[in-house]
Amino acid sequence: MMAQSTMRWRYLKQKIFFGVVRLSALIISLALFGILAYIFFHGFRAITWDFLTLSPTDSMTAGGIMPAIVGTLYLTVGAIAVALPLGIVSAIYLTEYAKQGRWVRIIRIGVNCLAGVPSVVFGLFGLGFFVVFLKFGSSILAGSLTLGILILPTIIGASEEALKAVPQTFREASLALGVSKWQTISRIVLPSALPGILTGAILGVGRAAGETAPIMFTAAAFFTAALPKSIFDEVMALPYHIYVLATAGTNIEMTRPLQYGTALVLIALVLGIDLIAIVIRSSMRRRKRW
Amino acid sequence: MENNVIIKTRNVDFYYGSFRALTDVTMDFEQNRVTALIGPSGCGKSTLLRLLNRMNDLIDGTRVEGEILFEGRNIYAPDVDPVEIRRRIGMVFQKPNPFPKSIFNNVTYAPKLSGITNKAELETLAEQSLRQAVLWDEVKDILSRSAMTLSGGQQQRLCIARALAMKPDILLMDEPTSALDPISTAKIEELIDELKRLYTIIIVTHNMQQAARVSEYTGFFYIGKLIEFNNTEKIFTNPAVKQTEDYITGRFG
Ligand SMILES: Nc1ncnc2c1ncn2[C@@H]1O[C@H](COP(=O)(O)OP(=O)(O)O)[C@@H](O)[C@H]1O
Ligand SMILES: [Mg+2]
Repeated sequence: MMAQSTMRWRYLKQKIFFGVVRLSALIISLALFGILAYIFFHGFRAITWDFLTLSPTDSMTAGGIMPAIVGTLYLTVGAIAVALPLGIVSAIYLTEYAKQGRWVRIIRIGVNCLAGVPSVVFGLFGLGFFVVFLKFGSSILAGSLTLGILILPTIIGASEEALKAVPQTFREASLALGVSKWQTISRIVLPSALPGILTGAILGVGRAAGETAPIMFTAAAFFTAALPKSIFDEVMALPYHIYVLATAGTNIEMTRPLQYGTALVLIALVLGIDLIAIVIRSSMRRRKRW
Repeated sequence: MENNVIIKTRNVDFYYGSFRALTDVTMDFEQNRVTALIGPSGCGKSTLLRLLNRMNDLIDGTRVEGEILFEGRNIYAPDVDPVEIRRRIGMVFQKPNPFPKSIFNNVTYAPKLSGITNKAELETLAEQSLRQAVLWDEVKDILSRSAMTLSGGQQQRLCIARALAMKPDILLMDEPTSALDPISTAKIEELIDELKRLYTIIIVTHNMQQAARVSEYTGFFYIGKLIEFNNTEKIFTNPAVKQTEDYITGRFG
């Protein structure tokens, strides 16, 4: 009797719990969908072939956003090129080589703190260090480095998780064959961890492409009709372009459709890059099964 | 016996942190013979086995005292490279652990990294190793297929082939059949009988019949100590120590 009512209570608790979980999932999905739909409906009319392939004209109240698309692509690729190798090497050091203890714990806390620093602080650091001190000027190089540092914690974190998820038995099997530690890591551990590391890179891409504050002092130009010729050139960038049109443009109200159109392009770009990475990742997963 | 000893331990104590897992183990392992290590779970069999090819180096905070002499040289001497030791003393684990690679690449993985690049040479080596592990006939047409698609018993023989491809002097096996079905187990036991002509085999087993079937010598361990070490026949028919007798007759363990 007693047991039965406890069972029923447990069952009820479980139902309530799952209900709450489902509800929160629903709310989150709705919010996401709502934002996407809102931007889509306000922006899709602006999207034309000319919008995607021309430079802005008439003091940025007409024309396209091609330089900003190109600029954001350069900055994002640059940020990944900086952060991915550095992040993977750091994660390998932390999980495979460093003796687990106080020192590693302190480094991990540091990395986590870095992840929590507001992005404008990275922007100021980039301005002070890359733009001024290293004399890179406001440029693709300075912006990519700044964004690279910004997404470094994400990539280190994801890489560490991915490395830790590689079964210890793989390492043992390789080492027991008289294969050196470095060869074991590069031939067995890293290839197995790559799909997980890519997940981190995906998250990083989204963040790098969407941030405004880190690039406004380090890379982003208010307006350039010309495309960059070297990594020492300034570029326009999508998030900064939205910011400019919405706050400092010559005619803020009139350019609303352009603002939403640009936001839509930015979102599509990020989702597109994510999609590519997800496809690569899942095909790698299929090949490497354990 | 002394003449043909290939590896021996001398007064070995082993610690995980402050926990002493082995106490004063002195043992000789004869060349081209099968030596079985038996004893209840947790008595230190795996620990000893992993000491013999320095796999315990991988665990933080461990300490060895005493000596382990491989061809007369202490493998824990400071100038000894554990990677070199592991090339010459191979290991097969309890659970089959092939790499997520093709069958061929599993077998040739370590030889390639040790410097063999000639394709024909690698192919010969792969065939030879797979034949020695009595797996060749089953896989010769599917060498490029993932090792993960093999059955458990086949995977374990692949792991044996992978170890043999490095042409080790000693093969350590830690309960190699405990995760396998009886038919696969029988195959691997037959295989062990074949392999001892070329290799020295040290096998940990929790299966008394298996120890009796495959080995020439048997060491019985209890709580980190080598209680009795003798001819397998002697251990199983006429053990000198009461604890050994209790264990092999199933009174504890
Ligand atoms: N990595 C480890 N860290 C701490 N203690 C361990 C570790 N591995 C084994 N031990 C302990 O050492 C003792 C011997 O273990 P093991 O050699 O695995 O026994 P067996 O193989 O005979 O079952 C056990 O008490 C076990 O708990
Ligand atoms: Mg064991």
